[in-house]
Amino acid sequence: MAARDEPPTLHSKRSLNLRFNIPISKTSRFWDSLAQGKFVTTKCADCGKVSFPPQADCPNCMGGNVEWVELGTDAELLTFTFVQITPTSFVDHDPYVVAIGRLKEGVNVLAWIEGADPAKLKPGEKLRIESRKDPKGSAYYVFVKA
Amino acid sequence: MRNVAIVGIGHSKFGKRTDVDLAELAFESIKAAIEDSGAEKKDIQNVTVGSAGGWYEENLPAVIVNEYAGFKDVGTMRVEAACASGSAAVRSAYLSIASGEADVTMAVGIEKMTEVDTLTAVELMGRSGSYLWEFENYGMTFPAYYALYAVAHMNRYGTSEEDMARVAVKAHHYGAMNPLAQFQKEITLEKALSSQVVSWPLKLYDACPITDGSAAVVLASEEMAKKLSDTPIWIKGIGFSSDSANLSKRGDYVGLSATVDASRKAYAAAKISPTDVDVATCHDCFTIAELMAYEDLGFCAKGEGGKLIREGQTEVGGKIPVNLDGGLKAKGHPVGATGVSMTVEISKQLRGEAERGRQAPIKNGVGLVHNVGGTGHYCYVTVLSRSK
Repeated sequence: MAARDEPPTLHSKRSLNLRFNIPISKTSRFWDSLAQGKFVTTKCADCGKVSFPPQADCPNCMGGNVEWVELGTDAELLTFTFVQITPTSFVDHDPYVVAIGRLKEGVNVLAWIEGADPAKLKPGEKLRIESRKDPKGSAYYVFVKA
Repeated sequence: MRNVAIVGIGHSKFGKRTDVDLAELAFESIKAAIEDSGAEKKDIQNVTVGSAGGWYEENLPAVIVNEYAGFKDVGTMRVEAACASGSAAVRSAYLSIASGEADVTMAVGIEKMTEVDTLTAVELMGRSGSYLWEFENYGMTFPAYYALYAVAHMNRYGTSEEDMARVAVKAHHYGAMNPLAQFQKEITLEKALSSQVVSWPLKLYDACPITDGSAAVVLASEEMAKKLSDTPIWIKGIGFSSDSANLSKRGDYVGLSATVDASRKAYAAAKISPTDVDVATCHDCFTIAELMAYEDLGFCAKGEGGKLIREGQTEVGGKIPVNLDGGLKAKGHPVGATGVSMTVEISKQLRGEAERGRQAPIKNGVGLVHNVGGTGHYCYVTVLSRSK
């Protein structure tokens, strides 16, 4: 039934739930390593370009000769935000702090900062990347204050 | 390349338009644009529809929109450049004439965003970065992306939450004079500053609303423009560019490199400099975005966006009046319609037809449309002029 203040509206009976199956065969080593606490990415063996997120083909020289390298976990906070209105698939989450940190290898990483008071955060602070497992056992990574 | 003019403009009322469906909403602008142009429907050789889509029930909007308006046997497509889809549609319609393919074309921008609930719309927008690396585990939202820019800008240049709130106050001031705007009500600085935090430091009044709306323009070759219009507005140059989808791949977070690049290309194509521009629309999906646009378009030096708004330089009578239609913030931001809406607005300004109180003084006869897609994924800058 239409709400009283609503003009005549057909509320479609057909709902559509989308859940995507995302191929990660070329970068599964990242997720496997992360599950073991290691933060790795790809580096082009030909031109030396380090990519993050990892990718199987070099975006610089377009070669396919990439190797896996371990990244350091020390990062510098570049910027952050405290997300208070969350999307529908995150409604059960507490508000979270998202940050972008720069690693000494020159790549940036976007992730939550765990356990930080957003009112006290300042760009330039030292962070560290740690791996976590979600309730379903999938690995992901977060920043913590160093 | 041939000269191309805007000869007809149409614009729907923006807002929560639960009174119309997608095609009906598009028709409001299509009909108005054709009537304004003096052309007949049969003169229009192709129709490009800008729409991001995903929040309304139709999957192939271009044909739905054309069918309702009675277009048959016209070349058509839907183009997508996120929030810059409308400008992408204008570019496509422009190129068709500039290249000599057609003499009269139409660009339509349409979005119907309120057919899904608000948090679903927030989710669809949040998924518009690099999905696996930004959304799956971290639930990014559009306000969150721009908040990352705001914090970096505040940290580097001392830009304040008050500077950002001033953008919203200006937007609502001019929106109050625009009968087609979603919000036609002034707000105070205090009201903006005390509104609910969405993604700190951005608050409700730093963010554009979720909007239904459409806009359309009819374009013509020089020969046809002479026959059709006494007030043709010429498209002098379009620059477009892009940046990474994944925010972490960008070098810094105090400006949009896509805007810098697109505007330099547009200025070169139109053979003008930023100081020649009489009036502009800037893509103010968030207040910080307008401040960064001032800088990235060259209206002020990098880092001085806050100063420009504080000094009132982007109001009527200032150095460069911006968003006199209320901007995305007050006029509303029906994603795919916005670029066409901006083109309609600048055409109106250059014709001298803007409503009382929101008409910019036109000196050089030059206006600029700045339309960003995503968080700087895409940028289109279009220079319009009263003279060929």
